[in-house]
Amino acid sequence: MPNARFLWLLVPIAGLAELGLFVYDAWRAPRVSEWQAVRAEVAKLKEPADLLVVAPEWADPIARYAFGDELMPIAKEARPDDSAFSRAVEVATLGKSAPELQGWSVREERTVGRFQLRLRENPKPEHVLFSFLDNARPPSLSVTAGDSRDTERACVYTAHAAASAGGLHGHLAFPRERYLCGGEEFFVGITILDDQEYRPRRCLWAEPRSGESVRLSFSNVLMGRKIFGFGGLSYFIFRDGAHGPTTITAQVQGQRVGSYEHHDERGWHHFEFDTERFAGQTTTVEFDVSSDDPSDRQFCFYADTR
Amino acid sequence: MNSARKLDRLDWLLGGALFLAYLALLLSTVKDLGYARDEGFYFQAAHSYEAWFELLRTDFSAAIDPRSIDRYWSVNHEHPALMKTLFAFSHHYLFTDLQLFREQGTAYRFPGMVLSALGVAVTYAWGARENGRLAGVVSALALALMPRVFYHSHLACFDMPVTTMLLITTYAFARSLEGKLGWAIATGVLYGLLLDTKHNAWLLPGAFVLHFVLTRGVHAVRELLAKRWAFPHAFVAMTLISPCVFYAGWPWVWHDTFQRLRDYVAFHMGHEYYNMEFLGQTYWKPPMPRLYAWVMTLATVPGITLLLFLIGLAVSAFRRKPAAAPAPPSTPLLWFLCLLMCYSPWWSDATPIFGGTKHWMTAYPFLCLFAGRGFAYVAERVAELWPRKSWRVWAPPALAAAVLVGPLCMTLHSEPWGLSFYTPLVGGAPGGASLGLNRTFWGYTTGAVQGFINQHAPQRANVYVHDTALQSWEMLRQDGRIRSDLRGSLAISGSSLALYHDEPHMHRVEYETWVDYAHDAPAEVGTFDGVPVVWVYQR
Repeated sequence: MPNARFLWLLVPIAGLAELGLFVYDAWRAPRVSEWQAVRAEVAKLKEPADLLVVAPEWADPIARYAFGDELMPIAKEARPDDSAFSRAVEVATLGKSAPELQGWSVREERTVGRFQLRLRENPKPEHVLFSFLDNARPPSLSVTAGDSRDTERACVYTAHAAASAGGLHGHLAFPRERYLCGGEEFFVGITILDDQEYRPRRCLWAEPRSGESVRLSFSNVLMGRKIFGFGGLSYFIFRDGAHGPTTITAQVQGQRVGSYEHHDERGWHHFEFDTERFAGQTTTVEFDVSSDDPSDRQFCFYADTR
Repeated sequence: MNSARKLDRLDWLLGGALFLAYLALLLSTVKDLGYARDEGFYFQAAHSYEAWFELLRTDFSAAIDPRSIDRYWSVNHEHPALMKTLFAFSHHYLFTDLQLFREQGTAYRFPGMVLSALGVAVTYAWGARENGRLAGVVSALALALMPRVFYHSHLACFDMPVTTMLLITTYAFARSLEGKLGWAIATGVLYGLLLDTKHNAWLLPGAFVLHFVLTRGVHAVRELLAKRWAFPHAFVAMTLISPCVFYAGWPWVWHDTFQRLRDYVAFHMGHEYYNMEFLGQTYWKPPMPRLYAWVMTLATVPGITLLLFLIGLAVSAFRRKPAAAPAPPSTPLLWFLCLLMCYSPWWSDATPIFGGTKHWMTAYPFLCLFAGRGFAYVAERVAELWPRKSWRVWAPPALAAAVLVGPLCMTLHSEPWGLSFYTPLVGGAPGGASLGLNRTFWGYTTGAVQGFINQHAPQRANVYVHDTALQSWEMLRQDGRIRSDLRGSLAISGSSLALYHDEPHMHRVEYETWVDYAHDAPAEVGTFDGVPVVWVYQR
C-alpha cells in the first residue's frame, strides 16, 4: 500500500464532510412557513370525519399551529385509539410515516413541497353507535355518589364550575362543565390524561373518593355488540403503581355486563364488555366506578358502544 | 513530568487572545438566551449573599453571628458558595457600582463566562506545552466550539466553572510532579476552590492517586522501604490546605460544620431522580441506561473532535518513545484517568441522568487535549506527504481550519438553542427528535419567544411560565426583556398566555392547557432547524 499514507487526508475530509452534513441536517426539516403553506392542500383532502395524523410525531405542535383547531380538534388529537376512524389524512415529511397507520391502505398520495400527503383507509373501521363522552351532560347523563345504593346522592351538573389545573405534579385539568358530587374536587367531567407514552387521551374523570363510588347513568343509549373502552390515570403521577386498583363495572338494563379492574402502572388500558344480547336496543347503561383505596383514585375512562 | 515544551511570550499572547475572543463571543450572544431554571435559584442565592457581604462591611460582628449566617446563607445551601459569591460580587460591583452591564442577569452570568473563557485559555496552554502551539489552539477551540459547552458557558451556573476549575487543578497537579513546591501549594489552594465550586470535585483525588500508583507506585514502595518520603507534595497540600480553603469559602458550614457537611454529601448521594428522555423512553427511576453518557457524547460533540480524540488516544497509547525519553508518558495518562473519572459515575445505573451532558462536561477539556495530540500527529503525517514542496508549511494550518470550521458553524448556529443541538452523527436536531433524544430542559427557551409574549399579552396579564423558574422570569422582567406589567404565574387557570417547554413527561401540562383554554392550537411556536422546542398558547 504505497499510497496508504494519503489516508491521513481522510481526517480533513471528514471534518469538511461533517460540515456538509450539518448544513444538510439544519435545512432538511420543513419550516413553519412551509407547514402554513401546505394547509390549503390538507384542507382540500380532509373530510370532516377524517383523522389527521402527522409524521414524524414530534412535528405535531407545528402542524397544530399551522393548521389550527378546525383541522386538528382536541377530540381527535386526544382520541382513545384509531379504530373508529375509517379514513386518515397523513401529513408526512422527512420520509417518515405514522406507525399507528401501518396496515392502512394508501388510497391517494401526492407530494406538496417537502410533504407527502397520503389519504389512508382503515381496513377494519369500527362504527361507533353511541359515544358516552359526547353525551356526558344532561339529560343523557345523571350521576350519583355514595358508599351504597341506599346512601347515594345526586351529583349536580354545572357548566360554570371553577376551572383549575394542577400543573406538572398536581391534578389533571378540572373542566368548567362537570357534575359536582361534594366540593369542587369530587366530580365527574371530561378532561385529558397522559398515557404511558405521555400522549393525550380525552376521558371522563370519575374518581371514587373516601370509600364512595360514583355511578354514571346514561339514558337512550343505542346498544351494539359491545361496550368498547379504555381506562387509566395520569401516567406521570401514578406510574409507580403505589395505589390499589380501581374497578369500573357496567350494567345494561340493570344487568351486569362486565367489569374491569385497573392497575395504575398499566397506563391507558383497553377493556371491552360483551353486549350482544342488547344489540339494536335503545336503553340505559350504568357505569359504577369504585376502589377500596380511599385516596387519589383519579380514574378516567373512555367508552362507546359498537 | 515529561518532555513538554516551555511556553513563551507568544503562547501567553495566544492564550490571552483566545480568552478575550471567547469572552467577547459569549457576551455578544448572551442577550438572546433566556434564563435557565437553576439560574433563577442562583440569582436568588447571590442576592442573599450580596446582602450578607453588605452586612459584613457595615457590622462585622452581626454578620458572623450564626443566626445571620443561617439567614443569608441558607438559600441554596445544597451547593457550595464560590460561584454564587462571584455572581454576587459581579452584580454588586459591575452592575450596581460601575454599571458596566445594562442587564442584571448578564452581570450575574459574567463570572461563569470568565471562567469558561479561562478554561479555553488553560486548555490552550496545556495543549501547547504538550503537543505544540497549533495543536494547543486546536485543543482550545475544539473545547470552545462544542455547542453544549458554548451554551453552558453563558450561564450563571456551576457546570462550566467546575469544568475549568477541575482542569486548572489538574494542570497545577501535573506541574507539581516536576518537583516545584509552588505548584504543589497551588494545587492545594485550587482544589479547595474546586471543592467550593461543585461536588464533581470529590472524585478528582481518586484520579490523582491512581496516576501516582501507576506511574510511581513501585518507586514509592522502594522509597518507603528506605524510609524516605515518597509522596507528591501536592497530596500533602490537598490534605492540609484544600479543606481550609473550602471551609473559609463557604460560610454556611462555619458552624454546625460536620452535620452540615453530612447533609451536603447526603443530598448529592441520594439526589432525587428527575425525568430525562433518552432514545424515546423517559427515565425517572433506576435502572438508568448505562449507555446514556456515551451515546449523548457521540450525539452532541462534533464528530471530527471525537475522531481527533481517538487518534490522540491511540497515539498516546502506542507511539514508540525514544529510548532516552524519561519514563512513563504520565501527562496523557493523567488526562486519560481524569477523563475516565469524569465519566465514571455514569457507569452505574443508579446515577441520575437528568442534567444531560453537563454532568460529565468536566471530561471535555481532557478529551480536547487528546484531540490536539491527534491533530499534531495527523498534521505531521499530512505535511510529510509533500516533503519537497514549499507550501507544505501551510498544511497544518489548513488542516486546523478543516477540522475547526465544522464545529465553529455548528456552535454559532446552535445559539440560542444549545440544549436542542445534535450533531450530524444522529441527523442533527430533526434526527435527535426522531430518535427520542431530549429536546430541551430547564425552561430557558422562554427567551426565544419573549418577543411574541411582549407583543401579544394583554396589559397586566398573568403568563403561565411552565418550566421557567419564577426567579428566572422575574430576571427577564427586571432586565426589560419581558414587559414590566406582565406577571409570571404557576397557575394555568387565570393566565392569558401559557408557555410550554417540550419534554415528554411534561405533556400533561400541555393537556391541562388544552382543557383550560378549550383549544389545542399554539399561537406561537419556537423551532430549531424545523423542530418545535417551545410554544405558547393564547386564551
